[in-house]
Formats: sequence, C-alpha cells, structure tokens
Amino acid sequence: MVDVPGPRAASAGPEGTRATLSRRNVLRASMASAAVLLGGGALTGCGSAAAAGDPGTVRLWDPFSGADGALLDELVETARPDMPGTGIERTVLEWGTPYYTKLAMASAGGRGPDVAVSHMSRLAGYAPLGLLDPWDTELLAEFGVRESDFAGAVWSRTRYRDRTYAVPLDTHPFIVFFHPETAGKAGLLTDGGDLDQEAFSSPERFLEAGRELARASGKQGVAFGYVNDTAQGWRLFYGLYRQTGNDFALPEGGPVKADADAMAEVIAFMQKLVDGRTNPDRLDYPAAIAAFTNRQTGMILSGEWELGTFRTADPKVGAAPFPTVFGTPAVYADSHSFVLPRRPDPSEAHRRRTHQAVAAILKAGQVWAKAGHIPAYQPVTRTRAYARLEPQARYVKAADHVVLDPAVWFAGAGSGFQNSMSQVLQQAVLDGLSPDRAARAMIERIDTALSQPSPA
Amino acid sequence: MSTPLASPGRRRAADDATAGLGPRLRRVFPPGLLFALPFLVLFVLFLLWPMVQGVWMSLTDASLSAHDPSFVGLDNYTEALGDAEMWRTIWNTVWFTLVSTVPLVVVALGMALLVHTGLPGQWVWRLAFFAPYLLPVGVIGLLWGWLYQPDLGLYNHLLGAVGLDGYAWLSDESIAMYAIVIATLWWTVGFNFLLFLAALQAIPDHLYEAAALDGAGAWRRLWHVTLPQLRRITSVVTVLQILASLKVFDQVYLLTRGGPNGSTRPVVEYLYDMGFTGYRLGYASAISYVFFALIILASAVQFLALLRREK
Amino acid sequence: MTATTDVRVRPSRSSAVPAVRRARRTRPVPQRGPNLVLGAGRLSRTLALAALAVMALIWLLPMAWAVLTSFKSEQDASDPAHWFWPQGGFTLDGFRTVIERGDLPLWMLNSFLISAAVTALTVAVSALAGYAFSRTLFRGRRWLFTVTTLSILVPPQLLIVPWFQQMLTLDLVDTYAAVILPQTVAPVMVFILKKHFDTLPRELEEAARLDGAGHARIFWSVMLPLSRPMLAAVSIFVFIGAWNNFLWPFVSTSDPSLMTLPVGITSVKDAYGVQYAQTMASAVLAALPLVLAFVFFQRHIVKSVATTGLGGQ
Repeated sequence: MVDVPGPRAASAGPEGTRATLSRRNVLRASMASAAVLLGGGALTGCGSAAAAGDPGTVRLWDPFSGADGALLDELVETARPDMPGTGIERTVLEWGTPYYTKLAMASAGGRGPDVAVSHMSRLAGYAPLGLLDPWDTELLAEFGVRESDFAGAVWSRTRYRDRTYAVPLDTHPFIVFFHPETAGKAGLLTDGGDLDQEAFSSPERFLEAGRELARASGKQGVAFGYVNDTAQGWRLFYGLYRQTGNDFALPEGGPVKADADAMAEVIAFMQKLVDGRTNPDRLDYPAAIAAFTNRQTGMILSGEWELGTFRTADPKVGAAPFPTVFGTPAVYADSHSFVLPRRPDPSEAHRRRTHQAVAAILKAGQVWAKAGHIPAYQPVTRTRAYARLEPQARYVKAADHVVLDPAVWFAGAGSGFQNSMSQVLQQAVLDGLSPDRAARAMIERIDTALSQPSPA
Repeated sequence: MSTPLASPGRRRAADDATAGLGPRLRRVFPPGLLFALPFLVLFVLFLLWPMVQGVWMSLTDASLSAHDPSFVGLDNYTEALGDAEMWRTIWNTVWFTLVSTVPLVVVALGMALLVHTGLPGQWVWRLAFFAPYLLPVGVIGLLWGWLYQPDLGLYNHLLGAVGLDGYAWLSDESIAMYAIVIATLWWTVGFNFLLFLAALQAIPDHLYEAAALDGAGAWRRLWHVTLPQLRRITSVVTVLQILASLKVFDQVYLLTRGGPNGSTRPVVEYLYDMGFTGYRLGYASAISYVFFALIILASAVQFLALLRREK
Repeated sequence: MTATTDVRVRPSRSSAVPAVRRARRTRPVPQRGPNLVLGAGRLSRTLALAALAVMALIWLLPMAWAVLTSFKSEQDASDPAHWFWPQGGFTLDGFRTVIERGDLPLWMLNSFLISAAVTALTVAVSALAGYAFSRTLFRGRRWLFTVTTLSILVPPQLLIVPWFQQMLTLDLVDTYAAVILPQTVAPVMVFILKKHFDTLPRELEEAARLDGAGHARIFWSVMLPLSRPMLAAVSIFVFIGAWNNFLWPFVSTSDPSLMTLPVGITSVKDAYGVQYAQTMASAVLAALPLVLAFVFFQRHIVKSVATTGLGGQ
C-alpha cells in the first residue's frame, strides 16, 4: 500500500521544470495570513491565496509522478502553441485514494483547481454528488474536440444526465507484455511479430502457453504482481469475468446479480495461472516488474503504463491486447480524463481558457502515447506517426473492447471497493481459499457495498 | 489548590471593562463574563456547535454532495454496530494502544532514571531523547518510510550486516503494526521522558539523604525512595498515554495508510475514510460517536482506577 | 517566580523551587558529596553511562541517517550495494532542488503564520477566560468552568467531520481561517491558566483595587506581568502543538499553497517520482526550525512541557 518503489523509480529526471509555487504566491499567502492575524473581520474575506490566481494560469491537479509526470510536462509544453497566453500550473498529489479524497474535498469546498485529471471510473461517484461542473461541448467543438473524435465505448462513460463531465485523455488497458525472443522461441508469435492470440484463447491454452514460455525462458512463464496490491487482483479478475459474457447488475440497495459459477471459473483459472511452479506465485507489484525485467519470466500481465519501465530493460519489449481467454473479447481498462471541479461562480473567460487548454493537450496526444497510453482523441491514433509506434500500435486494438469498472459510486480507480475485491482474490490465489467460496465472499462484499445508502 | 474567593472590592471597582455600558447591560454582561466571552464564543462556535451538529449529522445521510441531507434515524448507528470493518479498526486501535503504552511508559521511565543520575552530558541526552518529539509527523512519515524501506532502508541493511534477513516492515501484515509502534516509540517517548524527569527532580533531596544515612545502597534507594515517589506521575503518564494512543491516526496514515489489508487501520482513519474518501459524512459522524464512546469508556475506567489507588 | 511554576505533579509544593531550578540547569549538576542517586561506586556509574550512550545512539541514529541521505546524490541514495557511504561524495543537490521548487519555504511560512495565529488567539482568549474563572464572579461561572473542564475530554478527532461540514457551510474550506479557528478552542489551556491564576498572591491585586483599578487593569498590569513565565510556557506548548498538528490542517486544506509543513511534504509529490535524497532533504529542512529552537531554548521548552504537558490531570 505504501508507495515505496525500489531503486528503479529513483532515476533522476530533468530538473526544475516542475510547476512551482511562485514567489508571488508566497507573498500573497503571507499577506493573506497577515490579514488573518489582524483580526476576525478579515477572516472570511481572505479566502485562498491561490484561488484568485493569475488570470492566465490554469491550475491543474494530477496524480502523475515518475515517468508519466515528466511526460505530462512535455505534453503541456507541446500543446503550448495551441493555447496562447495560457500557462499550466501543475500540482502533483499522491496517486490513489489520497488523490481522490483530496479532489472530492476540494470540489466540495468550491475552491479546487481549475481542472483535474480523474479516472473515468470515478465519475459514477463524483458527478451525481455534484462535485463536478459539466464541460461545455460546444466550446470544446470550437477548439476542435468533438464527440465523434472518441471511441463510443469511452465517450458514453463521460455522460451523466445528458451532460458531459469528463474529457478523456487516454485509455489505459490492462494488457500483456512479453520478451519477443522468449515468446518467439516458445512459438507464440505470428509471422508479423504479433502475439498469437489463438495460443491463449482458452484457460487450458493459456496455461499451456505459460509452460511454453517457462521452457523458453529457462525459468518461469508469466509474472503477475498482486500481493497486498489494492487493484491488481481486481483488474485481472474483472476483465476475465467480462470475457465470460457476464456482468454484475448492481441495483441500489442490492442484491447484486452475478454469475457465481462464472466467477468461480475465473478465480480457478487465476489460481492455476499463479501456481508457484510454472509461474511465480507470491509477487507484489514491484517484484513482478523486477521478475519480468530481469527475464525471470517471459511475460507479464500488467497495465500498459509500465511500458517505459519495461522498455528501459528490454528495448524490444513486445505487447498485445489481453487475450480473450473466455470467449467474449473484453479488456479491462480505465481512462485518464479531465474534469472540472465544482465552482460556485466560475469566471466565464477562465472556463473558456480551461477548455482551450484541455483541447490543446488532447491534440498533442502523440506525446502522451510514448508512455504507452492509448490517446483517446482518435485523430491522434489514426496518424501514420502513431502507427509506427512500437509496440503501442500493436495493442491499440484493445481500445475496441474496453470494459471499465462498474458505474457505481463506490467503485472505480483507487476505491476501497477495488481494494476489498483484491483482498478476497489474494486469499484465493495466495492462501488457497476455494474458488466458489471466494466468489461468494466477493458477492457478499458487493452486497454490503450496495446496502450502503448512496451518498448522492 | 485553593478555590479563589470572591474579591471583596469587585462591586465597586470591577467595572472599567463595562464602564461604557449602561446598568442594565452591565447586569447582563458582568465584567467576569466579558472576560470569558471570547473563549465562550469560540467554544460554542467550534466545539459545542460541531458536537451537536455531529450528533445531528449522524442521524442523517449527509454526504459530501450539495444535496440536502435527510433524516434517517438511527440507521447509521445500526449499520456501524453491524459493520465488521469498524469493529476491526476499533480492535486495531485498542491493540495499538496496548502494545504502545507499555514501552512508551517504561522506556521513558528508564531514560529519565538514567539521565537523572546526573551523569555528564545532560544536554546531549535531553536532545537525543526529546528532539524527535519536536518533529512534525510529516517528517516521521518520510523518515520512517525511508528507514523501513525494504531494499535501501537503514534497518534492513543493519540486519543484513549482522547476517539476518530483512523485513518488509510496512507491507507484512504480521509486523506492520509493530513497526508503527517502534516509530511511535521513537517519536513520542521524549514527551513522557520529560514528565518523568521533572517528577524525579522534584523528589526532595532529604529523602535520599535519610536513606543514605540508613545505609541504603543505590538499588535500595531506587526501590524504596525513587520509585514510590514516582507512583503518581506514572499513573498520570500512563493515563495520558492511553488516551493519546487511542487517538492514533497520523503516523499510521502516513506510513501504511492503514494497510497492508487494513491490518493497521485505526478507527480514526476509518471515520476519515468513510466520511471523506467514501463521501458519507453522516455515517462517519456515527462512527465518530462510537469512537467517542470508546474514549469516554477508557477515561471512566482510568478515573475509577486512579480514584481507588489514591484511596 | 516561585508561584508561577505550577507543576501539579509535584508531591509537595515546598520542593517546587529547587526542582525547577535544577531542571533549568543545562550543565551537569555538581553533586554535593556522593551522587545521591547512583551512589559512589565507579562501576554503577560506568554502567549507567554505557546504557545512556547506547540509548542515545539508538535514538540519534534515524536522524543521522536522514541527514546522511540528504547529502547524497540520488544515485547514491538508491544504491543498495553502497548503502552507507556515498560513492560520489556529498552534494547539496537534494537541498537545492527542494528549495528551488519553492513549495517547502511556502509551507514553512504557512506553518509559521498559522501556528503564530493559533498561539496568539489561544493564549489571549484562554488567559482572559482563566482570569474570569479564577478571579471574577458572575452567574454560571462554576457551571461554565465545569463544562470547560469536562470538554477537555472531547478529542479533536471526533470533530473533524462536523468541522468540515461547518467550513462548507461558512464557505471557508481552503482558507487560513478554516485551519486556524477550530484550533483556538483549548479548554485545557483555560484550565491550566485558571489554576495558575488561583496560585497568584492576592495582596498586589488588593492594593491595585484600593487604587481604584478594575478587572481590566488588574488583569493587564498585575496579573499578566506576574504570569509571564507561565504564559511563555503555555505559548511554547500551544505553538509546538499547532506546528505539528496534522489531522485538521490535512482535512481542511486541499490547496497546496495553503498547506502547512507536515501536510504539504506528505501530500504533494514530485512529478519525477520518489527521490530519496530530496525526500530526506525536505524532511531535514522541515525538522530544522523546532530542533534548532530546542537547541537554543532547551530550558524553556523543557519547562513548558513539564508545566503544561500534564494538561487536565
């Protein structure tokens, strides 16, 4: 749970480009506090030092640290010509639950940032609560960003009560990475160098492919890091469960309608996959990454956002959409999107500026694709430059079958729900809880969550 | 401690504070009340009102949304009492309190006894033991996260240097709580140490002189003079420590976020999680009052125990 | 002086003076005759010294490690093979980056201003109330004091949710006022100061009264001057408390430019990932103000904790 990555995360980045709190802010802060010191009358008036802000500055909150963080700076830099006179002031907050908690609280208070990055899966909680302001789609269109520029499956999730509350920046699916030599030696590549999806098209074949990979690597087959992780178990499970053609029906108040047998089938597959012989079995997130980059395994089940890390270790690293193991194509994914934290009385000019800035950033999406993310703004992925991106172009198809978290208030990235589901799955995969009991435990936990009154 | 008597001259002279007010206003606002008024206003605004509002919120489905909350009766309390996770966090809190209080009192006492011997270097000892208490908890979070870092942290390297395996201090369910207790001990023991030290220095010399005249050695003086004299301060420090430990949140939140798998999550974090992360302010208020009941219960038990001992 | 050092733990009032005097000494106490605690034996002395040294070493080690790390380069800080001594020598890069980023000095300033405001308000308000409860008569005085004393039991953790709701209602979320105001209600300080005023001699007050002074003048020209050490002790204590307070500032501010030091250094991340040398440089800088204050004002701080730390007991 604590974010203490090993040495790999400690590589130094470019210096000094991070958005800073300017001296003017310091001055403003000190004057505001002087006002506080001067007496009660000033107390209510002083407000936030930065809320008033420089009119040309759009304040952006995001959870991107590490490689993504540096890349976002580059993205903003690339987009700058498209937003004349506008500066972006970034604030990076700790990713995960703390980020979403702070964002919700700041939005409730009405003095949040001008725009924030949020996972699309979070919208189901935020929008009904009134924590967000809707985007002005006409204004976006004026800056060249239209509904038709996005995949339908993604765009549909941006809507709540006929308003658009999120502008997607990317889709980031849960996919597979592999070392091409190992996979080739194991006979799992097509002539074009793609992963042979057929070889993974049933639970048995997937397991067999794992054994082939293990033989080819001389060590082990497929790495998956999930121990004590707050989301990984759920990411793998939910994508596979949707591949069985089932979904969760989640009526308010409960109970959930789910196919417990299909759930158990998926869990049983996960148990067999993470067996401790062919494939390592007790890896946490950083350990799995280490296992793959050290070529302990030939493949890893991972979010595409680790592309940068993997490519550093293996410049030729291959990638493919998550194989369809249970018949129906479905790839677990989420989407970083821009949202407007609630403002009681926003300045129209500033909102316009914000729309322009976001549109500019979307159009510069080619930069963002470097990190492995699939830009949501499709004019970018249709370019020849994008088609040449290796291996990104090889899994861009994953975007066609993405499934996001169920659209309920308690689910989504960084939620306690994902954590709670992942815990049960860990008990099954690591501690041997039987698949049907694990499925029942998950259903029970979903029911508990459903029985809580919705805060909206 | 004497209770103050009414000052005899108050009627005649007490009034410059209210000189501008007419006699009727002066009756409504006697000068004493005026002195207390700033405090009372803040007290009502930021303690009494929130307490009452908290009770009200706990009876509604208030949330982070702008929507008007509706009254739900005791639903939140019923839900809380049946909420296994809440009970687990209460148990975590109580467990932390049990495990942390003993070393925080005993080590502090040991430090104080050693420093009180008057050995050279008083300044250094006080700095070493008390300075950590002055560190903001944010520093504790960063520092101990780094000390406990599995691959690069100091402690695993020191263990490695003597041929032992390192621990996943903060991500192993079976030891994360103890890791937090150790960090807490390091951070806050200095406070108790100073309280003990002050008490030790208040023991009158003549008690030692008398004991020395009776031929009592150092150990006997410790057992028969020092420790008995410390009995009261020890119970006071223990009480304060228990109450402080029950309120634990900061260092746990910063070091493990309550993890791994909720094994270190204290009840205060649970109410924060339910209220702000989970948007449900009403439910969080109900948990707040369950937590308050816990504090009151602990205080009452300790109060009774103290009373009995003092008799 | 004697009357103002109100350490309530002390078994007898008569011992108060030497105790405090001794506590104020920073150099080792020259013992009259043989050491009354240890006895004359050389062995016990050596053993005690060794025990102390080991304890102090254990306690100083984490801070030393933080300081050591903060002077390393990032590469050296994250090199498990040479974990102790940096291969590339020492560098100020970590500190430079942290300071140039600019938010740490801002948070420090925020912490200072907020703690100063909390201290000024709390001490002023509590001293007035303590005086009122100790020296004046008005209807409901006892009752109000009882309520105040009882409310010492109310933990601030209980109130974060209603406070936040209150700040939403007052539209104060993400303002300095929201951070400061709830921290200024300190029943325990009222209690301590009330007990303190109780111990002040009445003679001076009576004399002033004969001269026609009212409560305001007595408070200002008689009580406060007599209470300077106590007020200093209380102020130091409140200031340290506010400086290190985490939960409420953490809940009430989301805007990084309003955050206090402990909240800022743990909430706002660097866009370039975990960098241990920089992290430790910010930790060292964040620790510095109070640790330095302790080095220079050790006796005051020690006394403050000894007098105020026992709070409601």
